[in-house]
Amino acid sequence: MKIKFWQKTWLLTMALFLISFNIGVLIIYTYHKNLLIEEIAAFEELYYVGNSFEQDYQGLAEVNPQATPALMCAYGRRYLKKDMPIAFYKEGSDSAFHTTFSKDISMESNSVAQKTVDGTRYLLISMDVCDGEYQIIVAKDINSFDSELRIMLYVYMAISGGISVVLAVVLYFVLKKLSEPLSLMRKTTEKIEAGDYSARVEEQGNDEFTVLAKSFNLMLTKINEQMRDLEREAEERKLEAQRKQMLVDNMAHELRTPLTSIHGYAEYLEKANVPEQRRLIAERYIISESERLQKVSEILLDSAFIRENKVEMSEADLAAVLTDVSEKLRWKADASQIKLGCNASPAPVMGNETLLSMLFYNLTDNAIKACQAGGRVCLSCCGDQAVVEDNGKGMTREQLGHITEPFYRTDQSRSRAEGGAGLGLALCSQIVQAHGADMHFESEPGKGTRVIITFTSWQ
Amino acid sequence: MVKILIAEDEKAINELVTFNLELAGYECCQVYDGEACLEELLKHKYDLLILDVMMPKRSGFELMEFTENIPVIFLTAKSASADKIKGLRLGADDYITKPFDIVELVERVKAVLRRTKKDENVFEFDDVRIEFDRRRVFKAGVEVDLKPKEFDLLEALVNHRNLALSREKLLRLVWDYDYEGDTRTVDVHIQRLRKKLGISDRIQTVYKRGYRFEI
Repeated sequence: MKIKFWQKTWLLTMALFLISFNIGVLIIYTYHKNLLIEEIAAFEELYYVGNSFEQDYQGLAEVNPQATPALMCAYGRRYLKKDMPIAFYKEGSDSAFHTTFSKDISMESNSVAQKTVDGTRYLLISMDVCDGEYQIIVAKDINSFDSELRIMLYVYMAISGGISVVLAVVLYFVLKKLSEPLSLMRKTTEKIEAGDYSARVEEQGNDEFTVLAKSFNLMLTKINEQMRDLEREAEERKLEAQRKQMLVDNMAHELRTPLTSIHGYAEYLEKANVPEQRRLIAERYIISESERLQKVSEILLDSAFIRENKVEMSEADLAAVLTDVSEKLRWKADASQIKLGCNASPAPVMGNETLLSMLFYNLTDNAIKACQAGGRVCLSCCGDQAVVEDNGKGMTREQLGHITEPFYRTDQSRSRAEGGAGLGLALCSQIVQAHGADMHFESEPGKGTRVIITFTSWQ
Repeated sequence: MVKILIAEDEKAINELVTFNLELAGYECCQVYDGEACLEELLKHKYDLLILDVMMPKRSGFELMEFTENIPVIFLTAKSASADKIKGLRLGADDYITKPFDIVELVERVKAVLRRTKKDENVFEFDDVRIEFDRRRVFKAGVEVDLKPKEFDLLEALVNHRNLALSREKLLRLVWDYDYEGDTRTVDVHIQRLRKKLGISDRIQTVYKRGYRFEI
């Protein structure tokens, strides 16, 4: 069973209080008991003296009544030795008939009192004896008894003081020990405040602090997870923003470069006194750069079209598309002395023929560009798969990771010289996505590249 | 002769800059990537580097470490001010964004060369000698008295030699007018220059284009 914190505190405080309280009570009780015993003893002694005098007096009165004063003297002497002074008063007289006190004592008859006479403390008792003829006052020195009691009182005070101190100290440590988990937790929160989010509270014991520590740690773990998620999200957003910025930069570059050339050469032709040869160069640049601008804008428009519109899917035959593309590009392959082969068997897939044609045109065009004279490009399809293969220069693993990014070129100067903008594969990847298909590249530098696209079959 | 290195990976733009700077009388060397640019910089001494930011192999920003003794003008499509600041902070002397204007390009090149005292301060043709620093012109060894604006006009024409400058452009370059001012002023000053220096054949009137100093 779990002992809870409040139960622990309650039990311990209660126990400590009861122990110290009972010790106190015991001491007080002992003191009172001793006092009582001493008093009873004193009374008994005093009564004894009174009674024995009365008996002696009565016995003497029958023999010799004149000897009464001598009897009183004898009693007085005898009991003075025991520190018990005695006084005799005759009825109606205010002064003592006989006394061993140093001064006059007056008391009511048959009463008990405590008095200090000449610095000595006495317990006094007065009795009427001899049928009220005399009053006898007997006293007993209780000084020693009193001082004993006083010592006991001091001892009691010392003990109670000691117990108080012990109680205070023990309570201090007990409560401190009990609340230790709290201060540990505070230290942990301070650590967390300082930025150490891996700090955890120790989960020891089985009281409610442990329960609290457990839920505290659980909360920390949750918060950490959330923070990591947020950080990751922020990081992703940052990367996304960087990607977008890069895209915009690239786009600006891609549009401004040909524009700069066209504008610059036109201005040059207009203003400068140019020799014929340079005029021809300028004119050629104006034409080629405007063609390049047109190409880029076409691709961007196609890309925007695919992005903005839902692509209509129908039954499309990959074989027909591949054959068509290979016919369209044959002149280019021939011009570069590259063998372009097409090995297509009917393969009906879900798709849009216009987009598929665009896709394979771009892929085949890239393959031709990758090859040198005497190279070979092969298009093939089977079932729901289409493959474009070349034995050109290939790509490294690092390049493969970037090829579908807009404006990425594996070889900047070369593909620019060939009029590429680095947009072709980005568009291809978009078309593939629109078809819910999968595009996979296998490439090795120097050996060639294989592009495998897996579509969804028609039914 | 002032030698300028042009580092720009776009062949079309590289040649465009070269053509125009050659017109203005500079000797140009062309490189098409960062590596080649670095090689040229280490091999030869140049008076100015025109540097594209986005280049293969080494970017323009990377190359800035190697351009301590040579003024640099950045040439780029990036117009974001953050990039401009980065370029200027790295020690570029000026910044030209594409697309640019030929006159603007030459003006900026002139300005940077003037700041770094690398431009020639004397220009001679036929029997005329122009000292730009002292603002004096000699014809056959005899000093010709030119009014300040006449000298400024001559300087603008010579700086943009072989280029047709419209009357508006000349107003802006010489008179600092940023609006369509009185173009007749330009004609009057051109006439005076032709007469004082006897260079009617050098300062050509180009139909519908303006004036061109040919050499």
